[in-house]
Amino acid sequence: MLRPTLNEIISGMQRTIMDALLPELTSPYAQGQAMSTIIMLGHAASALESAPAYDAAEIKDLRATFAALKRLGDKHISKKSGLRGALARALRAGAKNPLDRRAIEAEMATFAAAVALGHADDSVARQVRGYIGRNLERTRKLFANSLPTL
Amino acid sequence: MDQHRLTEYFKLKMPHARDHRVVGLKRISGGSSRETYAFDLEWSEGGQTRTRAMIGRRDPTGGLLKTSREREFKVIAAVHRAGLKVPEPLFLELDASVMDRPFFIMDRALGRTGMGAFAATEPESTRAKVADDFLSELARLQSLDYREYGLEILGAPKNPEDPARIQTAHWHEVYERDRMGEHYPILSAALAWLKANPVVTDRVVIVHGDYRSGNYLYDDNGIIAMLDWEMAHLGDPMEDLGWASMTFWGRNELAGGLMEREAFYRLYEQKTGHRVDRERLFFYRVLGDAKMVVICLTGIRDFVEGRTSDSMMPFLELLIPQLFEDLANLLRLV
Repeated sequence: MLRPTLNEIISGMQRTIMDALLPELTSPYAQGQAMSTIIMLGHAASALESAPAYDAAEIKDLRATFAALKRLGDKHISKKSGLRGALARALRAGAKNPLDRRAIEAEMATFAAAVALGHADDSVARQVRGYIGRNLERTRKLFANSLPTL
Repeated sequence: MDQHRLTEYFKLKMPHARDHRVVGLKRISGGSSRETYAFDLEWSEGGQTRTRAMIGRRDPTGGLLKTSREREFKVIAAVHRAGLKVPEPLFLELDASVMDRPFFIMDRALGRTGMGAFAATEPESTRAKVADDFLSELARLQSLDYREYGLEILGAPKNPEDPARIQTAHWHEVYERDRMGEHYPILSAALAWLKANPVVTDRVVIVHGDYRSGNYLYDDNGIIAMLDWEMAHLGDPMEDLGWASMTFWGRNELAGGLMEREAFYRLYEQKTGHRVDRERLFFYRVLGDAKMVVICLTGIRDFVEGRTSDSMMPFLELLIPQLFEDLANLLRLV
């Protein structure tokens, strides 16, 4: 493995800003910029390791949720709800390019809106809420070490 | 901003004075939608040397919001005339050749501020005074007749349904513009819900648009000045109240870090003489969370596309998950 690793470079750059640049900065604005850069470099270092797994888990969960929605069948997804088209598109997108998160997420947006509006059947809403809960939990973990305190 | 050009500008604007000097010009953090500079202006007048602390707010190359500096200046001038606690606006310059981009100059109020929730480390007596002032100022703002202060320029809603619809449509449009091809299911759900559930206001008031902890200067005696008026518009009084009491700006159950949320609403009712309409308040809390996500997306896009190098912009990504959590809880998406 080539050294320094990307993580080691980023950590080193954080130290450079903190130890070499920050003491030389007199403007509060520049100091603030340096501090937020340090925080974002920390987030980037953490994301370098965890983002691929996060994306993979997101795609897997989205596909699994739409598969579960398909199993619910037409009885739970009425024509009137307009969700049948979104489900078909999500399944097609997943089959066409299993790594295309955006295309599947676009259809999840339609389902989430239906849940918020009360247009989704209870079984459908349960699946969608389950996905959103897991998505929030994964995101919480992804950002756990980077979150600023306002 | 450039010290020499700024000095020349003051010579033109204050021809009765002599020996103009701009001292200690420095860019400061805060007011992320504009470049903000602090400086002192020294000059001679009537045989005396005078000094005044000032702030310059210049249009950015990119950033959180796309708003008119002329509009912001006029709003500050109007509410200053009405006696609200705001910095005195001094000069508006729309000619971009003067300082590369339009800017305005206002008085520099001195005091403490924070980024979000009122600091937990402050003494209880200060917190209580700031909380009281915060709602007193909001009540005064909402009691003003916008016509009397020439603020029809903000666009008066024609119908009581308009404020909710206009704000929803505006932030939806900005979202579509700035989402960079991404889809955010929780935000999409929120915008769909807002569109489907517009509330009807009982009166049209001046809305600050960013009325919250973090946007005022204070000291031990309370609030000195409310800042950041660039999103001001005419609308529903519940909009500022909903925004100010969003979980995002608070701490635990304290609205804005200032006061327990229900006590905050009761005090608002006492100060304004108007009931807090829970349905409208809920609508504007949802709108507030959605709007804040969209503002973050605008800043991120401008950073990604090179219109700003402000390192606070990518930082905004870190704020979005909390807003999604709040929206999901409000709309029972979890």
